[in-house]
This record gives sequence, structure tokens and C-alpha cells, in this order.
Amino acid sequence: MKMVKVKGRFRGGESPRIRELAFILNRIRRSPLSIAGIIMVLFFTFIAIFAPVLAHPQPNRDPYMMPRYGFSPIPRPPGPDFLFGTTEGQYDLYYGIIWGTRTAYRIGVLVVAVSMILGIVIGSIAGYYEGVIDEVLMRITDIILAFPALILAMAFVVAFGRGLDSITFALILVWWPSYARLVRGEVLKITAEDFVEAAKAIGCSDFRIMVRHVLPNTIFPLIVMASLDIGSVVLTAAALSFLGLGAPTGYADWGQIISLSRNWITGAPGNPFAYWHTYIIPGVFLFLFVMGWNLLGDALRDVFDPMIRRR
Amino acid sequence: MISGKAIRSPANILPFFFYLSKIANPYIRVGLQGVRMVNNIKTYVARRLILLLPTVLGVTILIFAVAQLFDPVQRASLYIRDPKQLRSIDEVIEKYGLNQPIYLQYFSWFSQVLQGNLGWSQSLHMQVIDAIITRFPATLELALYAAPITIFLGIRLGKLSAVKKDTLIDHLTRAFAIVGWSLPAFWLGIVLLAFFYGGLGIFAPGRLSPWADVLITTGEFRVYTGLYTLDAILNLNGAVFLDALSHLILPVTTLTIINVALIMRIMRSSMLEQLGKTYIIAARARGLDDKKVIDKHAAKNALIPVITLSGLLTAGMLSGMVITETIFEFKGIGYFAAHAATQLDIPAVLGFALLTGIIFVIANLIVDLLYAYIDPRIRLA
Amino acid sequence: MLQPPVLAEKEQLKVQDLMVRFYTYEGIVKAVEKAKLKLRLGETLGIVGETGSGKSVTALTIMVLTPTPGKVEGGNIYFRLTSGEIVDVLKLKGVELLKIRGKEISMIFQEPNAALDPLYTVGDQIAEAILTHRLPEMLERVNQLKKKEASSLLMRLPIFKGIFEKRLLNQVVREEIVQLLRLMEIPDPERVLDSYPHELSGGMQQRIVIAIALACSPALLLADEPTTNLDVTVQAQILDLIMRLKQRFGMSIIYITHDMGVIAEICDRVAVMYAGNVVEVAPVKEIFKNPLHPYTKALLESIPKPGSAFKSIPGTVPNLVNPPSGCRFHPRCAHAMKKCSVEVPQLKEVSKEHNVACFLHGDA
Repeated sequence: MKMVKVKGRFRGGESPRIRELAFILNRIRRSPLSIAGIIMVLFFTFIAIFAPVLAHPQPNRDPYMMPRYGFSPIPRPPGPDFLFGTTEGQYDLYYGIIWGTRTAYRIGVLVVAVSMILGIVIGSIAGYYEGVIDEVLMRITDIILAFPALILAMAFVVAFGRGLDSITFALILVWWPSYARLVRGEVLKITAEDFVEAAKAIGCSDFRIMVRHVLPNTIFPLIVMASLDIGSVVLTAAALSFLGLGAPTGYADWGQIISLSRNWITGAPGNPFAYWHTYIIPGVFLFLFVMGWNLLGDALRDVFDPMIRRR
Repeated sequence: MISGKAIRSPANILPFFFYLSKIANPYIRVGLQGVRMVNNIKTYVARRLILLLPTVLGVTILIFAVAQLFDPVQRASLYIRDPKQLRSIDEVIEKYGLNQPIYLQYFSWFSQVLQGNLGWSQSLHMQVIDAIITRFPATLELALYAAPITIFLGIRLGKLSAVKKDTLIDHLTRAFAIVGWSLPAFWLGIVLLAFFYGGLGIFAPGRLSPWADVLITTGEFRVYTGLYTLDAILNLNGAVFLDALSHLILPVTTLTIINVALIMRIMRSSMLEQLGKTYIIAARARGLDDKKVIDKHAAKNALIPVITLSGLLTAGMLSGMVITETIFEFKGIGYFAAHAATQLDIPAVLGFALLTGIIFVIANLIVDLLYAYIDPRIRLA
Repeated sequence: MLQPPVLAEKEQLKVQDLMVRFYTYEGIVKAVEKAKLKLRLGETLGIVGETGSGKSVTALTIMVLTPTPGKVEGGNIYFRLTSGEIVDVLKLKGVELLKIRGKEISMIFQEPNAALDPLYTVGDQIAEAILTHRLPEMLERVNQLKKKEASSLLMRLPIFKGIFEKRLLNQVVREEIVQLLRLMEIPDPERVLDSYPHELSGGMQQRIVIAIALACSPALLLADEPTTNLDVTVQAQILDLIMRLKQRFGMSIIYITHDMGVIAEICDRVAVMYAGNVVEVAPVKEIFKNPLHPYTKALLESIPKPGSAFKSIPGTVPNLVNPPSGCRFHPRCAHAMKKCSVEVPQLKEVSKEHNVACFLHGDA
């Protein structure tokens, strides 16, 4: 008898985790915006991974520094030799965009990952041990959250000096409190449940309880928050680079590239959009990157929310 | 009639109050209800104010902590009022106790802050406190226009999108929201400038056209508040009013497009949450028409979380929209914060950061008070 | 008027072949399938069933308030208005429908706290009901008051007149509400009027909900498990109140519950619902004495009695996206026959006033 693969919903039998996965995938499939988001994210991930292939780095040079082909300040429009044209100072725009994807991912993933880890640790401690520790830690998060991200990051960057590393460090310091708050909230909810009391009664160590019981329940909201945050982090980092506080001139960073276009937005006499490529192209890439991750985060949130309620 | 001596004797007072209470009783009853509400709010306000202090202190501590990342010579400029003082660094260090233990330094710095001394800014060539005071009106003007428009639009669109869920309007507004939220603020500003200013020649960057600036410097146009549109009205000068307004259009549009998304989203999800609740079914069961049910009941309940967000949004705008002001050369505190940052002008940046923190803490307080006013359940908590 | 007369002379409500379906991600939930109900004037009909039996949905649908994503897919709901006129509620639209809700048919809910808007005082919410449906009456009273009070020249000026009239209207409505609250046996009605819902106890809140429902003297009151969430002592008080109010107002009541004890106390007839179908309808005494449908029997047997062991109904409530074929109870029925999984039994009158939908009784 031929084995026919049946698509669609699974019936009983499979483990609940597979069924949940199937449910998630089904929900995502129904929403065109989510699919668009996933495609965009995959597109940028592909570019980031294959950057050295798509835009060959020059020998004996930091691959993140865009190659220069001259010193004239006037940007050249897209043409046969330069796919996207050049920026002010004759940097290869195409190269900058491609490697800029990598930069974006580097900062975004690094900041979000470290913030998340820091947030998980601090949040779990605050939520689990409660009392004075909780109060103190929450006051600290309150104070940091009292500032808009950009301004506080600016203050840190001024202290640490210009550069992408400063930005990364500053953004981590600004972003971890939101994760800490989230984890703490979840931990408080879970520790209120009886099975934690039971585990303690059996003699499970605190650490074990936290890792095996508390954390798995906080994964979903954390994932949603993380995917939504990558967009915001990259936007803020680009803003800082745009202001001149981040990547040095000539570095393959979208924000930095856009800042090179500031003098050219009025165009040339007679042709106001002569230099459109200097701001439109990098801006579109930045915009689509952020939107892709925002759509993905939204989709994940829509999927996980009713599920959490269903539980 | 009532002499000092007479009052002191309690027996004389009693009949007076007795008759007073008889007359005043009905008014007191009504008044008491109001007083009950006010009393509850009073204790609520008192409690929130008390909680305010540690947060404000915390903000100052954070700023001070960031300041410690710099060496003493750099930190010295946080305390001085005049660049000439920098020539005798040792005196400065002695005077403000920069070589003393941290906590003493903090108190010394804090007391300077309370006296209005936020240090000297090299990049701006003036005292930080003066820089803030002179630049703030520009930001205030921008926020004054941008915030209400954003909040109003956001609430309207969110309500519309929730009521007409899953229709074309819903999808369109949500798409608009996602696009707006993902747009880099600086990029949107550039594109708008390129199109309108570069392409059409209108809406130039800056706050005023050169001819209006001339009017100010010559004294023909008196600046009262620093808010140019308001001043133009006070000066009865229509031309300057229109000019200032036209310079506000692009920055306000940029801010609106980006921030509407946020408000709209929360309003939409809040409305959807309320629309599923039992009291809405109950309201419908009373025979109320859709409009009343939505506006009077669902929307009012839905607005509660939106208020927090709106408050924070306004606070964010007041603390200087660094990017928007930079792109449009709108010389408010954000513009100068960015300028100072690139010059590594520590006192200026820290001063602006401190101001921001304080603004946010106050905004939080105001939001909490608004909550108490709107939601009777909070007042008793 | 619907010709030929669809309701008998003494009938208040007739639900015929009602079908309600919910369109969800998991599939189409067939919540109510061909439900049939009849209600006489002044009668109290109880609807009994487990969660998921479709009783709440039916009640909400009688007021055309089926919650989304539900859709009424068929059937008629014939209702006799106070004026005597007969309408099909499901065919009404717009203003016609609004005139019925709150005035001819009212509803009280399971969770009184959730049924009141937390941002408005209780008095405001009762006033809403009154002002929506009884405005002309209130305005008439205002006019009476105006004639009685000597109106000075000041009061004839347009601006002051408006304010004056508004104040009088408020006063008139307040008086009416106080009367209503007294009927609900609420002490200190003036103070309660100006309270917010969260300031009142559960029992008080439920009295308010009842007050709102009865403010316009409806012909039919739908009660969706109004005492389930209350303390037992309060439960008894509210039940008593409802019965007394019924004496006074004379309305028909549909009382939804899963508590057979309540049914025994206050209902004249009972309808048993299972998985969206009405499976048995009979007068109260009859149902307890002679339950015919296996589900009804099982329900009665599962009421815990001191001294005997717990008896529960084997199996679980069916998934309504893919309900069992034929009679929906057949997988759990001890007397299931082959026919039960193939054909759907219809409600048939087996003895006087006693209808069952089961192949064990009467041919289907």
C-alpha cells in the first residue's frame, strides 16, 4: 500500500511539542505579513553570511572599511563600475551596503544576546529571592528605564569614546533592564505556583529549580521581545553612527553611510535628486532590515499570545 | 461678635457649629463626596511624590556614576562656571573636593546642581545651565505641536482600526503603523528634506528664514517666550508666524509618522481587549447603540494604558528629539546635545541627560495622577 | 404581524431550529444545532447543561448578541412584544433591535463585577437604561415638576432654562433609580447610587445588574447563571429576590444554570441541553420524577447525595468542531443503539408537556 503523506493538522499521537510547532507554523502561514517578514529576514541573513562572496574584501585591509576609489567629495551615481554608485569621498556604496548588513547583525545580535543573558540572570535573582535584593535591583532598572535609550547611550559613548565597541557596550547597558523586568515578572508568577514549593520540599537546589522550571516558561515572551528589539537596537546604533558617535568615517555601517549623504540632499543645480543613491539606497536597506525583524517579532507575538491564553 | 476670649471656650463654639451644620448639611453632603475623591487622590499623590524622591536621587546617582568614568581633570569642568578657572585646576579640585572619597564628591556635586551649576560647556561656550535654558523653548515648541497631533491621530486610528477589525481600513492602518515604526527617524527626515526642500524648495531646515532672524537681531521682533509661533502672535506679526509655522511642518510630520505607530498599536489592542469584555455585552443588552457603546464605554476604558504611553511619548519629545532636531537644524536641546556629544563635551551631555531623567520622572508622576483621576479603582489602592 | 400567527395566544417566545456556528482558527464550532424552545407568558423556563452545551450562546442569541466569531446560520426566534405584536428577533435590524434590547428583553450575567463598567458609577449605568427607553416618560415628569415649581423670569431665559431642565431631569431620574434600588432591597440607595462597582460587594453588584435589567419592565428576563459566582447565602437571597420581582413585574424568565437544585426551586419547566442540542423539555416535577433522556438521568444521578458513592458521567464533552455523528450523546450513552450514531433524534412529545430527543422513547 502506498504511503500517502497527509498535510495539515496532526491528530493525537504526536507529542504536544510537535503539535504546538505545527500550530505555530500554520498560524504563520496564514498571515502574509509574517511571511514577508520571514523572507526579509532570510534575505538579510543570506547577505550577511555571504558578504565576502558578494563583495570581495580588499587584501591587507580591514574588510569592514569600505574601499575608496578617489578623493573627490562629489558622489558618483550608480553605473557600470559601481553598482550603487559612490558616496562622498568615493567609497563604494555597494560594498558598504553588503558589509553593512554584517555590521548590523553584529551589533544587533550581540547587544540583544548579552542584554538578554544579563537580564535573565539579574531578573531571575530579583524575582526568585525577592525582598531587599528585588527592591534594589528594580530601583536600578527603573532609573535606567527612566532615560530614553538614545540619550543615555550618548552619555555612555561620550565616556567610552567613539567607535562601534562603545556603542555596543552602551546599548547593552541601556537594554538589559527591559529583559530583567520581563524575567522577574515571569519568575514571580511562577514561584507563586505550588509546584515550586513542592520542588523545594523535595530538596531541589535553587539553581536547579530556576533552570529547569522557571526559565522554560519565560522563553516565549523573551523570544518575542528579542526579535522586536533587534530592529530597535539596529536603529538606535545607526542613529548614533549617523551622529558621528559610532563607526569611523569609511566604515561599512548603514548609519554612517547615510551621514555621508547629508550634504548632498539638495542635489546639484538643476537636478535636485542627482545624488538620490547616497541616501535612498542605504536607507531602504536599513528600513527593510528593521521592518523585517519587526514583522517577524509581531508574527511571533501574535502566535504566542493566544497560545499562552489557551494554556 | 466673636472675641478672642470667647472662642477659647469650647462651650461657646458648640452651638455655633450646631447651627452651621444644619444650614450647611446638604452642601456638605455633596461636597464630602468631592472631598472623598480629593482625599483619596491627596493620599495617592502624597504617596507618589514620596516615591518620586528616591527615583530622582537615583537618576542623579546614575549621572554621577557615568561622570566617574572620566578623569578628574575632565570632571573638573562639571563644576566650574568660567573657563578661566580651568587654568588653576588644583584650586578647582580643592574647592569642590574632587580628591575626596566618592560619597563626599557626590554631595558636593549634588549641592552644586541644586545651586544651578551644571558646569561649563566648551563646545557651546557658555554655562551648561544657560545652554539648557536658552535652548529649551525650541524643543518645547516642537513638542507642543508634535505631541498632541501624534496622540490624537494615534488614538483615532487605533480606535478605527479596532472597531473595523480585519477590514481593509484595519489592514491599511496597521501596515502604516508597521512602516512608520520601522522607519529610521533620521532617514525619514532626510528623505522629506530632499523631496520638499531639495526638490520643491519649500520647508527649509532651521526655525526661521534668514529675513526673520534679522528682525530678531535688530530688535524689531521681540522674543518673549522663545516659542516663535507664540511670540509672533504676541508681536502681531503674521509673516513671522507663518514662517515659523512652515519651518515646523517637516519636523512635526517626521515625528508624527514615526510615533503614531506606537500609540495606534496600543490603542488598537486595548480597544480589542475591551470590546471582548462582558460589560460591553451588558451595555449592548441595555439597548445602547454601537456608537455609544464604543465611545462611552469601550474607548474610555481602552484609553487607560494609552495614557501612560502618551505621557512617556510627550516626555520623550520634551527631552529633546536629538535626531529630528539635528537633521532639521532645529536648535533645541537635542540639537545641542548631539553637537556636544560629538565634541566629547562631557558637562553638556551629562547636563542634558540629567534634565531628561528629571523630565521623565515628572512625566511618570503626571501620568499616575491622570490614572487616578480617570480610573476610580486606583484611588482606593 | 406575522401571518399566520406563529405564536399561540399564551406564548411568549418560540425558538425554532436555531443554528449558531463559530468560525475559529481551529475550525467551525457547531455550537447550537437545531435548538427548539418554547416559553409561555409569565413562565420560568430553566435551561440546564454543562459548559459547552450551548446554553449561554442560545440566550445571547435571543438578544442577537452572539459573540464574534459566532454567526447565526439559521432558525427563527419568535417573540411577543408587550404590545402583543409578534416579531422574528433574528430578522430585526438597527433601531428596531435596539428598541427591544433592554426594554422587551433584558439579561443578567454570571459575573456581576464584569458586567458593570468600572469607570462609571452604578447610578450612571442604571440611568443609561432608563434614559434610553423611558425618556419621554421622564421628560413628562420634568414638565409636571416645572409646572409645580414657580418658574421665575430667570428660568425662562434659554441658557438657564437648559441647565434648569437638565437638573430637573437628573433629579427625576435619580428618584426613579432610588425607587428601583429599594425594590431590589438595597439599603441606603442614595449612597449606593453614587458608588462605583468595585466599591460594592458581589451580592450588591448583582442586585444592581438586576436593577438595570428590570429598569424598563421587560417582558422577558434572561438570567445567565446569575448566582453561580456568589456565596451560597447570597445566592439564596438573590434567588428570593428574583422570585419576588417576578411576582411584582410578571415577566417571563429563562434561567440558565448547571445547578439542578436551583431549577427545582424556581423553575416551572426545564430544558436540558447537551452539546448544542435540546435533548429534553419537561415540567420541573416531571423531570425529577421521570427523566427520560439518558443524559438527564445521568445528570440527576450525578448530584452528590450523602451516603452514596460519587457517580459521574463517563467520557468527556465532545469537540464541537467535529461532533459525533447522529445523536451527539451516543459515545457516552449506556443505551446507545446502532441508529443513534447514524440519525439525529428530534424532539418529540412523549407524554403531556414532556418532550425528548432520543430513540429510546418514541419513534424518530
